[in-house]
Amino acid sequence: MLGKQEKNFARLMVLPAVSLLFLVTIAPLLFSLGVSFTNLQFGSPQPVRWSGLENYLNLVTRDARFLNALWRTLLLVAVGVVTQTVLGYVIASLLFHISRGRTILLSAILIPSVISQVVAGWQGRMIFNASYGPLNDILARFGIKGPAWLASQQTALSSIFLTDTWQWTPFLALIILAALQSQPQDIVEAARLDGASGWSMFRFVTVPLILPVTGIGILLRGVDLFKTFDLVFILTQGGPGNSSETLTFFTYVQGFKFFNPSYASAMSFIQLILVTIAAKAFLSFIRRQRSI
Amino acid sequence: MSKRIIMDVLKWGSLIAFVVLFLFPFFWIVASSLKSRGEFFTRPPVWFPAHLDWSNYPDSLGRGALKGLTDSFIIAFSSMVISLLLGAPAAYAIARFQVGRENLAFWILSIRMFPPIATILPLFVIFRFVGLVDSYSGLVLSYTVFNLPFAIWILKGFIEDLPREIEEAAKVDGARPFQIFRMIVIPLAAPGLVVAALFTFIFAWNDFAYAVIFSGSKVTPLPVVIAQFAGGHEILWGQISAAAIMAILPALVLATFLQKYLTRGLTMGAVK
Repeated sequence: MLGKQEKNFARLMVLPAVSLLFLVTIAPLLFSLGVSFTNLQFGSPQPVRWSGLENYLNLVTRDARFLNALWRTLLLVAVGVVTQTVLGYVIASLLFHISRGRTILLSAILIPSVISQVVAGWQGRMIFNASYGPLNDILARFGIKGPAWLASQQTALSSIFLTDTWQWTPFLALIILAALQSQPQDIVEAARLDGASGWSMFRFVTVPLILPVTGIGILLRGVDLFKTFDLVFILTQGGPGNSSETLTFFTYVQGFKFFNPSYASAMSFIQLILVTIAAKAFLSFIRRQRSI
Repeated sequence: MSKRIIMDVLKWGSLIAFVVLFLFPFFWIVASSLKSRGEFFTRPPVWFPAHLDWSNYPDSLGRGALKGLTDSFIIAFSSMVISLLLGAPAAYAIARFQVGRENLAFWILSIRMFPPIATILPLFVIFRFVGLVDSYSGLVLSYTVFNLPFAIWILKGFIEDLPREIEEAAKVDGARPFQIFRMIVIPLAAPGLVVAALFTFIFAWNDFAYAVIFSGSKVTPLPVVIAQFAGGHEILWGQISAAAIMAILPALVLATFLQKYLTRGLTMGAVK
């Protein structure tokens, strides 16, 4: 079908992009994979040697701080994805059912999702400030004594979750609205004529119809929540104690605070593997739902 | 009839509540950027500054935000240019000539899934070795990790939507493949190029993870400046808020001008 000349032309066109991507992703990853099997540590007097799976084994069997960070991150992903999807659906269906003003309202609601996470984090710092912030001021006006938010082990992770939810719920609302708008009207109409309404309409018509598109949004959100770093850095630095430390933040601490690149590399590979498995499993779940 | 009115009131009431909720933090930093020194540490907090004190803006520019703005602009702009220059030809080849079939396309997409720390760590060791830490080139280069796949993916979608007939007619007329790409595909895919340009610019502009690790005393993008301000011993509430507002502006432009393509850009073209 394609001539030899065209094939060569096409290869030439992708070559610069593919070589650059190889240089900045595959090559460093291979390097990092190698490092993860050594005991390399900056400033350590020990000679560098192969240590095989030692780093990995230590992480999975001994390092309580790592396992806690892993658990905390999974919790953040699960609670974050569910809350943001439900809230996003509520907002999207409200927008879907109004006849005017949709564009302007959507633009206003979407602003959090296009700004830098550092700015979102800074806003969180001000809002959650226990003494001088507006949140505890509002709570106090209702006679509630607000918690210390970022400064308390009990609420630091929740504050990160709330900031992330504030920033990214609009993103899911946008996607779910697009999904609602692309529902084939004949199917919806036929279901209504067959007497579907309320919950059965939602469960057996709306959800299957919006799932493929919504699923993409959920996947992106899940992956990004798993990578939560910026908000932790700005809001809590993982503290107080390690109570809000996520996996990526602990990896950063190991690599750039403890100067332990081999251990951090092993950690980042575990994350890479987990993300890939989870993403693949989720995609095949979506695909199965669609074919039913 | 009255039931409909109640429903309308409920719908609009909750929508307005959501808008207030999502915009409130912006009100708070705008108000904070205009407060004067004494107004930050009162209980209850000051909601509306007594008079508008604009001095936080020049003050924050003088303390490093101006350098931050310039650095962020240089880096984001260069990253955008590289992503388009390398991304457009690759997108065309993948869309029209199916180079590498699905594998190449999937590999490019999956880069988006990487936890940044997985590439930052080895890149840092390599950059330190070749002297790219704390340089514009280092950051521009590392932003291709996510911007180039994004540009390729978005442009691939736009090019696939173009009618093939024009390209085929040009081929019959004897145009060479590269001529077709340059004279026909590029102008037709212009909306896609604009979308890719603005998004890659914003992604680089907003990034923090790479910026905080690859920057130093010479290169300080705005998010890093804000983080430094916020992590200092004396927290400069007003100045940081002023810098944060300056960091938001490009995103506001994006949200306004790209409404139509926002879904497409934010979902990497998966939802059109």
